[in-house]
Amino acid sequence: MAIIEVNHLTKEYQLGHLTSLKETALNTLRRLTFRPTREREKFKALDDVNFHIEEGEVIGIIGHNGAGKSTLLKHLANISKPTKGEVIVRGSVAPLIEVGAGVNPELTGRENIFLNGAILGIPKRIIKQKLDEIIEFSELEQFIDTPVKRYSSGMTVKLGFSIATSMEADILIVDEVLAVGDLAFQRKCFDRMEELIKRQGKTVLLVSHNIRQIQRLCNRVILLDHGKIGMEGDPKRVCDNFYEQNDIKIKNNIDQTQTRTIGSGEIELVGLYFLDTSDQKVENLTYNQNCSIHFKIRVLEKLDEVTFGFGFHTTDFLYLTTHNSEEQLKINNLPPGEHVISCKIKKLPLMPGIYTIRFGITSGQAARTVYYGESLKHFQIVGSVPITIRDGFFALDALWIQENNKVTDAKVNSTVQA
Amino acid sequence: MLKIINNLYSYRELIVALTWKNIVVRYKQAYLGILWAVLKPVLLMLVFTVVKSFVGIETDGLPYPLITFAALIPWVFFQESVSEGVNSITSNAPLIKKIYFPREVFPLTAMVTKLVELTISFIILMAMMIYYQILPSIYTLWIPAFILYTMIVALTISFFGAAMNVYYRDIGQAIPIALSLLMYGSPVIYPLSLVQKKLLVEQAAGVWSEKLYTLYTLNPLVGIIDGFQRVLIKGVSPDFDALYPGLILTLTILPISYWYFKRAESWFADVI
Repeated sequence: MAIIEVNHLTKEYQLGHLTSLKETALNTLRRLTFRPTREREKFKALDDVNFHIEEGEVIGIIGHNGAGKSTLLKHLANISKPTKGEVIVRGSVAPLIEVGAGVNPELTGRENIFLNGAILGIPKRIIKQKLDEIIEFSELEQFIDTPVKRYSSGMTVKLGFSIATSMEADILIVDEVLAVGDLAFQRKCFDRMEELIKRQGKTVLLVSHNIRQIQRLCNRVILLDHGKIGMEGDPKRVCDNFYEQNDIKIKNNIDQTQTRTIGSGEIELVGLYFLDTSDQKVENLTYNQNCSIHFKIRVLEKLDEVTFGFGFHTTDFLYLTTHNSEEQLKINNLPPGEHVISCKIKKLPLMPGIYTIRFGITSGQAARTVYYGESLKHFQIVGSVPITIRDGFFALDALWIQENNKVTDAKVNSTVQA
Repeated sequence: MLKIINNLYSYRELIVALTWKNIVVRYKQAYLGILWAVLKPVLLMLVFTVVKSFVGIETDGLPYPLITFAALIPWVFFQESVSEGVNSITSNAPLIKKIYFPREVFPLTAMVTKLVELTISFIILMAMMIYYQILPSIYTLWIPAFILYTMIVALTISFFGAAMNVYYRDIGQAIPIALSLLMYGSPVIYPLSLVQKKLLVEQAAGVWSEKLYTLYTLNPLVGIIDGFQRVLIKGVSPDFDALYPGLILTLTILPISYWYFKRAESWFADVI
């Protein structure tokens, strides 16, 4: 039997303010006289949502802001009641909806551990047993007897997370909590989550905007779109779909606004285009095919010792590669006028997806930046990848062998280059 | 009713923790600490004693400060429980929005918090009784029952008021005014015997006197306050005629009030 059942869940909110006394009185009068009442506009936060979750599953819920993710979690945690439909939860729920909801600033860290434990329904006896473990995990040994109001915000969240994850429940509901604390603590939280999921076999519902995290932790992902389930199933498939939606959104946004560039004014980029193997101009590049990138520049003032560099990055500014012209192209002197610089790429190893380009030019002995721009051109990489390569951004040209078998000529070449 | 007791039991640790939080947080940075809690009845008692010396109120030969303090103990407990209880849902909005547990825990906690302060008031009363050399009688055993009754009255109002206050904050504003009016409708400043003398003996309101008296005793606080004074100071058994009307009214309204609270509870997180 499914541990969580959501059947035809619909949640409506009324838009606007609460009705005033006058409005309520007028509505009552209208009802009494059988005239239509003035209703406020309704907003469907969730619209006929159906899904089942089996025990031990780890479900990711993704979607843009306002898609209904948090509303859905609130229904599972029994905080809100559905307008229509039903939510059946068979088991105890630990709601980590926003860590530190019950942390009181006046109390010390230690006192808050007990208070929050009680709020989450952890018996005092268990809290006492786990006290040291909780304090150790929170890394707050030194400050545990200081009122929380003197804590930094990061410390408060660390405390909240440590308490919440010590709760033993069948179902864990997590809303955006892993994006807390410094990098080392985030890592720790992530490990704790993974331990809860993989080793203790808990049922977990995870809401996050960190899609990579969701993809890694979950075995099923639900994509919510305007209160409806847009897509459901394999994490990779759903996440990719969500990325594509996002990419289109980002692309539209960037196309509308001018790309941000900095430069000294001595040089400007007037064109950027791709050519494929048959020297045809293309908008999209193909995985594992040769191609070239062409930068059309207009030099306004004479430059000497010019070096060019470009790189690929994702739309969320993860720099993937760079390559610059040093040692390959020596330009001592660049006279004013238009020039085209190109870079040939062999067997483009980027995995299908949406990427963008950055480009920079330096000049002189001191490598002074005369031009630099990011997100200059969004493009899609198309093509099919072999089944051996699934995740990530780069294809690795590699080969598996079993050592004691005689395999000759097992050349292993990394093609991660740009 | 059984459900409340059941919840009270299964969430006892939470109620204890929240009560402890309420007390610690309120008095943490105050030098006088929890003494502030008893300052209110003590000061009121002093004021009433001063006023009494001008007005002259019949007290059957008993020391007026003691009579007043015995009346103020249940009154202040009731008044504070209700005003805290009515605001308990709205003031815990962050918790309501994030974590589920039965919402009646909040009005209950507000009341249990006041129970701690009530205990301290009793200690002061004991000291006063020693000072005036008045011995407690066997009827003092009625006190737990009276306290329980006061709690039920306070809860009846708290459940309804707290739920309404989520939708209409007017309630939170109106409660202090209503409570201070109710104080004059209860035998806090004057003893019940004065009302009985006017209405029952002298028939001051003519044919309406008896009915008016029943109406007066519909206020549960009448029976409670008079009961406190009787069993603690006077050492006589409670006046049941003054108790019944209020008790019946309370026990009739309590289920309705609780039902209303539970019905409204589902929408707290959305509306608050």
